[in-house]
Amino acid sequence: MSATYSRRGGYQFIAQASFAGALAAIDAVNADPEMPLKFFAVMRDPAAIADAYAPLCESILRETSARHIIGCTTSISRKEVIPSLEKLGGTLWFARPYEGFESSDHVIYTHACQSHHLLPLMDWALPRLGKRVYLTGSNYIWGWEINRLARLRVTRAGGQIVAERNLPLGEQDVGRIIDEIRATRPDFVLNSLVGASSFAFLRSYRALGNEDPAFAPDRCPVLSCNLNESELPFLVDAAEGLISVGPYFRGRADAPAGPFVSSIEMAAHMSVIELARLLALAGPGSENWPVTALLESSPGPISPVTHHTNLPVHIAQVRQGAFEVLHSIAEFPGDPFLSGTFMPPPLPFYMSEP
Amino acid sequence: MKQTIRMSPLGGARAVVLHRPHANLLALTRQLKVIGLEVEEAWPELTPRARTADFVFFDADMGYDAQFPWEPGSAPMPLIALIGSEAPGRIEWTMTIGADAQLLKPVSGAGVYSALLIARASFDRRRALAAEVAELHRRLEARPAVVRAMMILAAKGGTEEECYDQLRRYAAEWKMSFEDAALRFVARQSSGASLDLRFRR
Repeated sequence: MSATYSRRGGYQFIAQASFAGALAAIDAVNADPEMPLKFFAVMRDPAAIADAYAPLCESILRETSARHIIGCTTSISRKEVIPSLEKLGGTLWFARPYEGFESSDHVIYTHACQSHHLLPLMDWALPRLGKRVYLTGSNYIWGWEINRLARLRVTRAGGQIVAERNLPLGEQDVGRIIDEIRATRPDFVLNSLVGASSFAFLRSYRALGNEDPAFAPDRCPVLSCNLNESELPFLVDAAEGLISVGPYFRGRADAPAGPFVSSIEMAAHMSVIELARLLALAGPGSENWPVTALLESSPGPISPVTHHTNLPVHIAQVRQGAFEVLHSIAEFPGDPFLSGTFMPPPLPFYMSEP
Repeated sequence: MKQTIRMSPLGGARAVVLHRPHANLLALTRQLKVIGLEVEEAWPELTPRARTADFVFFDADMGYDAQFPWEPGSAPMPLIALIGSEAPGRIEWTMTIGADAQLLKPVSGAGVYSALLIARASFDRRRALAAEVAELHRRLEARPAVVRAMMILAAKGGTEEECYDQLRRYAAEWKMSFEDAALRFVARQSSGASLDLRFRR
């Protein structure tokens, strides 16, 4: 199999977390005496250049025997490699949160989509924090889609979007966002900015909160659908009080910590272990099967229908430098098109309102 | 007229795929199930049950008029063409049948969701426009009644403007279009029913 992550470039610290999780799992598979197979890792680094992904994917599938690739951090890179996977018969294991509305025959999705991040987060937040919401995001598919769905969810719950402002990727001038939040006084802020923009915003917003307690985390917290432990060292004090959602949090620093640094490592790790389990049960040659057939051959946590993974939902807040889980929902199937048809009745929580 | 695009989930909707059994359809069927639709396959003809489907996918390559239990162009649901051959004759037939969206064969999962949303939106828009056009036609056909009503009112001594205002007041009072009010007014006059014809000056 191949591990293809951008360990250099704009989002290297997140990609490195995925890469570390995948490699640790490959080592675990190879060290397992019970396992009838070993993985050889074909490592590639697209250096966060979107146009490098498709050629690299084709070269892996043409020039090596790898049929399964764990990789891609952004939705843009995932969309780039899908045509190559279709043409050459490979499978991408995508172990990152994303905005949903996709289910490629050639991709397995092992982290949360919107049925497991945004919707449970909003359903938790609206009755507890209030219904006046400020939206901000980076100008690309993640920010746009999160904000679209959040607006729908909030307004259907009788709430109000007090304002929405999006920034170009990489933009660090967050002054207008801070001014608008100060003027509109929302109950909470949903932050879908990414990378440097997000860090700049969170630091400025912390400064505002220090100045005016109306914007401290206990009065107007910042929520995010993808903030995780790997970003905390970059935020230090500005992380305190942030609320996030994910299938896994390491837990409080003073309590027995979980086995993974963050859900990013967890999902990459789980992907490799599940692939090994499927291949081991299906036997030699099964690495070449269409992945849907492989999933059907021995039922596990990944649905052969949706290619998405049964995951729990945890909503957690940064307290004293570590995430503390505030609310959990037991694992349930991913529903990338929000169809509401993958759960037994009653309707899932996100379909329960008109 | 403002058109609202339905972006609501498609969970529970029913799709019929009118295509001979083929390996290429597996990706389409799986994708429809992910999106939350129930899928039925039909070949060579649609069953009467297909009339109540929410979407029909049809084969543009081997399709023919008699497969559909309705007149070409008057499907009661959005249609999505599965196009292999781009021969002009086949495209022409596809348009005659009335495709609201299309997918190119071999169908991969990509494009199915957007085809469903686009087909539903364009079907809704077309149907709303057709209803509006039919209503305008009906009102156009009532023009003789409007003329007749104006003549009756003018005969009672109203100016053109007063007659027109009077008819508009009837329409408001009876909660109907101007033309329908004219039709009712004329009908009442010819049946001898009495109406307050005093002009408000």
